[in-house]
Amino acid sequence: MKKLVIVVLFSLFLLPLASAVFAAGGAGPDKSMLKGVFTEINEAAHTAVLRKDGTTELKSLIIGEKVKPETLRLGKKVLVSLDHDAGENVIKDVSIMFMDMTLKKLLALLTVGLVGGILSGFIGSGGAFVLTPAMMSLGAPGAVAVASNMCHKFPKAMIGTYKRWKYGQVDIKLALTMSATAIVGVQIGVMIQKYILNKWGNDGSNLYVSAMFVVVLVLVGGYVAYDAYKLSKGGKDKPEQTASTLALAMQKINLPPMMNFKVAKVRISAWVTIPVGLATGMLAATIAVGGFIGVPGMIYVIGASAMVASATELGIAFVMGLWGSIQWGLSGLIDIRLSVLLLATSLIGVQVGALGTTYVKDYVIKITMAATMLIVAVSRGALLPGYLAKFGLVGQISPSTAAFLESLSFWALVAALGVAGFISTGAMVKGMIADRKESKLHIIAEADRA
Amino acid sequence: MATQQSKSKLFLSTVIFGAVSISFYVLLFTNEKLVTDTFTKGGIYTLFPIGTVFLFSFIHGAFASNLLSLLGIEAKKK
Repeated sequence: MKKLVIVVLFSLFLLPLASAVFAAGGAGPDKSMLKGVFTEINEAAHTAVLRKDGTTELKSLIIGEKVKPETLRLGKKVLVSLDHDAGENVIKDVSIMFMDMTLKKLLALLTVGLVGGILSGFIGSGGAFVLTPAMMSLGAPGAVAVASNMCHKFPKAMIGTYKRWKYGQVDIKLALTMSATAIVGVQIGVMIQKYILNKWGNDGSNLYVSAMFVVVLVLVGGYVAYDAYKLSKGGKDKPEQTASTLALAMQKINLPPMMNFKVAKVRISAWVTIPVGLATGMLAATIAVGGFIGVPGMIYVIGASAMVASATELGIAFVMGLWGSIQWGLSGLIDIRLSVLLLATSLIGVQVGALGTTYVKDYVIKITMAATMLIVAVSRGALLPGYLAKFGLVGQISPSTAAFLESLSFWALVAALGVAGFISTGAMVKGMIADRKESKLHIIAEADRA
Repeated sequence: MATQQSKSKLFLSTVIFGAVSISFYVLLFTNEKLVTDTFTKGGIYTLFPIGTVFLFSFIHGAFASNLLSLLGIEAKKK
């Protein structure tokens, strides 16, 4: 009875928080964006008529100064963003929703899908930080790239969760507990984003996202790297790694409701899981990779092993990805072709990554994670000077420096994916070879005995 | 003999799941315009993309799982 009362009180605490943030608007696309097909374009008069998607309603628009009328196309589904500062119904930007699929694009999608899948199966998250920019550089509008990635992420995470659950690594209860608070965290993250966008515009938003990326990834990634280094030096032969000092202190807090996580082998107050879940969601809303906080959070704050934390993160990614995909789907922004092409290889990759974890020690997952986070931090850090210059916080940078920094940023992303793929598959292959040798020796020994 | 039998069974299911998966991909890409237009109508049409990825992940996921087993890429046996 006492337990029930506590659970009810606990839910009552979460409910107003959730409803307040939901009322502020959900995650998803900018509501001021129009989707439809141009039925008429008058280049001379700088006007166009758009038929809004799913309706017969026609809307007359003025082609803004920054838009070249000759680039507009009739009969193709487009996303139109309006420039509210320039007046009513003034087009700021037009992007074609569905890029033409070429063989090169197809191969690019299959390749990033595979590596992203391996990474995801191995460290619980990954890929989104490179998949979304990759799709954008292939020609997908930003919103479509985010939506299509999300719609590929949750089935991938579902298959990954199933595999790792079979290996006994997923703590379903922990995944569901974390997901519930992470969804609230996403809403808070979106609110902050909207506030920043309204106050400081697009440049402010870019600066905020990049700064968050760098600060979080350097601090958390640096700590994970330090921890993995310590383990690889001294503690790798220990069969069980002990939880961090912080996690042990957290587990001592006896504030009901206490929760038992059997797979993670942790008994901890539900209140401790809340900030970790919220932070995961907030980060997911800001930089699209909640796992960079979720996994280290589960390891260092809650006290799960890297193996269980990375597997459980897949479960969280499934719940949050499904929820996010429904939001994006309701706005009709998912390009299913991109989602299924990524799935073609990522469903193979995620299973390879998942089974790979059974051959490696806990610290290898930490090393892979730390390497990914730190290289992604370089990629985002390279963009910071440009954004800071736009705000006048640092002197203007020359176009050649800006171009160099941009290509550095792109190649760092590719390197992050490459390095992570290399470490995880390398460790897995090494483990597999050692395992086969061992079982061969075992068979020979058995035969000798017989 | 038993392993031989289970291997040929595995091969058969890999081929079947693979064939179904490929035909889904062909079906989707040969009707590209109709599919992309219908799937992005929003509202209740959300069920299309969500349902599709679930379907693809079951079929193609099963194919991938069988393929990996067939290639001998399997989890460590405890």
